[in-house]
Amino acid sequence: MRILLAEDEKKVADIIVRGLKAERYAVDVHHDGQGAWEAASTYDYDLIILDLMLPGLTGTEILEKVRRKNHHVPILILTARDGMADKIKNFESGADDYLTKPFAFAELQLRVKALLRRGPVNRSSVLRVADLEIDRLSQNVRRAGKKIELTAKEYALLEYLATHPGRVFSRTMIIEHVWDQSFQGLTNIVDVYVRHLREKVDDTSSVKLLRTVRGVGYSLNDGTQT
Amino acid sequence: MNMRSISFRLVAWYAGLLAGIFMLLCVVLYLDLRHFLEKDLAESQGRRTRQIANTLLVHVKQTGEANVASQTKDWYEPEINDRFIRITRTDGTQVYVSGTPNDGSFDPAEVPVFPPAAETESYRKLKLSGGKTLLVAALNFKSSGNPAYLVEFGELLDPVETMLNRLFLQLAWGLPLAIFIIAGGGYLLVRRALTPVEQITRAAERITQHNLSERLPVSNSGDELERLSISLNRMITRLDDAFQNSKRFVADASHDLRTPLTILRGELENFAEDPRLDEEMRERAASLLEEVVHLGKIVEQLFTLSRLDAGEAQTEWTRFDLAELAKTTTEQLHLLAEDKGVSLSCNVSQPLPVKGNHVRLKQVIVNLLDNAIKYTPKKGAIQLRVLAVNGHAVLEVEDNGIGIPADALPHVFERFYRVDQARSADSESAGLGLSIVKAICTAHGAEVEAQSTVGCGSCFRVRLPLSRN
Repeated sequence: MRILLAEDEKKVADIIVRGLKAERYAVDVHHDGQGAWEAASTYDYDLIILDLMLPGLTGTEILEKVRRKNHHVPILILTARDGMADKIKNFESGADDYLTKPFAFAELQLRVKALLRRGPVNRSSVLRVADLEIDRLSQNVRRAGKKIELTAKEYALLEYLATHPGRVFSRTMIIEHVWDQSFQGLTNIVDVYVRHLREKVDDTSSVKLLRTVRGVGYSLNDGTQT
Repeated sequence: MNMRSISFRLVAWYAGLLAGIFMLLCVVLYLDLRHFLEKDLAESQGRRTRQIANTLLVHVKQTGEANVASQTKDWYEPEINDRFIRITRTDGTQVYVSGTPNDGSFDPAEVPVFPPAAETESYRKLKLSGGKTLLVAALNFKSSGNPAYLVEFGELLDPVETMLNRLFLQLAWGLPLAIFIIAGGGYLLVRRALTPVEQITRAAERITQHNLSERLPVSNSGDELERLSISLNRMITRLDDAFQNSKRFVADASHDLRTPLTILRGELENFAEDPRLDEEMRERAASLLEEVVHLGKIVEQLFTLSRLDAGEAQTEWTRFDLAELAKTTTEQLHLLAEDKGVSLSCNVSQPLPVKGNHVRLKQVIVNLLDNAIKYTPKKGAIQLRVLAVNGHAVLEVEDNGIGIPADALPHVFERFYRVDQARSADSESAGLGLSIVKAICTAHGAEVEAQSTVGCGSCFRVRLPLSRN
């Protein structure tokens, strides 16, 4: 998998490259718009990550140029501006996803993965994490065969974490996915829900599945990691 | 009519001034004419007395007094011409006196004899019993060898007075009429001249911070008003520039703050996960990371505020049921209240259709409830009420928590305002939640107010116009 990263901030680019390389992606980095556009028009990338504020050509210009030429490559926009109007404009120009700085690297990883596997995502009706079983059709949750009663939000939270076992989800990601923008940045609602979820899912078992990663977020462990 | 408007004042001033000048002119004209006409009449009578003296009385010795009398009567026909003539010798003997005029306007016998002091001539006005005025010229005539005579010649002032009365009448009618026409015409003229001012005023009132790119109409008249609208337009351009600058500043600051935050966060995430760290170092890195995330939150909220200032909440308006939104939002926050040991209930009686930005109005409810949960101790109660009052949807969040001191109450919606140190102990909030509520309400034309009693609780009330269709 080959990824083009256009990001003028070298340090930000370094962090992203380091993370992506650890995931065994091949990454080309360009710090200016012109170079990024030349690379995008020469090579066949599996994914393009574009910062909007680039010297030379802006991210939006590259986005439009790429879309005129190649309709299929997924494009992820990175931006320090998250006005509604900007968002809509870039989606109309053909962006596939949108990430606002500052973001958790876990979030970027997750989105990259989602974009690269677009389509054949894990759509199986039953998710399994260790001895936890989540039936997406009936919304039934069982731990070691015993049924657990969850509220709608608790279920949504657990299902979200279970889509990528072992991965850390930031509070922002969880709020955006399980709640909506209105809850952003204000409440400790995620912590409260995770605590309740933990009481229901983990308290009865000696193997704790829900893990808190301090400063980052939460993950659902399959029990093999510590 | 607005008594303080320029058009009214201008017309009043100049109509008043003109009325004053006209009045003065008329008085002068009237008095001068009266004086002139009377003097003219007196002079012509004086001439006639001299005529009688110089042509008849000079030869009285030769011709005799009877001749003088008959000659005078023949020449002047006083009865036909309504004149009064009397010739008296100084010893009192009447040589001649004219008879009652044909129109019977006066009785000559009524006219008293008033010899002038010296030999000079003089004239006087006599008020007669009939109300008429007789102007009488008198001449003391002496010539050598002859006895002295007093010659009196009089005529009625009637024609002069009739003429003056007529003039007075004309002026009395004409003056107000002229003033009225002048004022009316002046008003129309001034109105016409001031119409562009009205247009400029109306256009200027339409301009707010959201349409600063609009300009006032400029008439190519080359007058002061053209200059005024051009200068106003220049001022709007400067305002527009200032606004654009501040928006650009926010956007730039947004970029410049977010990039280092991204780097900090990314590096710290890597660092905190580094297996080579011992437990204590990992703990410190995590603590740093938490602060970076918190800083990111504050930056996020600041930019939410600046985007609201830039009019973001005025886009994407839909019509929805506020009661329904209140209900679902309360349900979503229920666990949060339960966790704190606070009861949270939602009272809605009927659907309340409103128009607005759904996400932002939900944020208002979330922020108010979150705030209430934060400042209500265990076993407290929070009530969310949504009701219709006078065409408005009123949303009330009432708690029986710690309350807000009276001196702090007016400031709770200010940015970064903290009520006291006890409250700031909560490190999660930046003091921006309520200012975001306020900004969203302002963008929706809604009012928000807070009431509170320390120790008894607080009540936040939002009044939003109901949507009619």
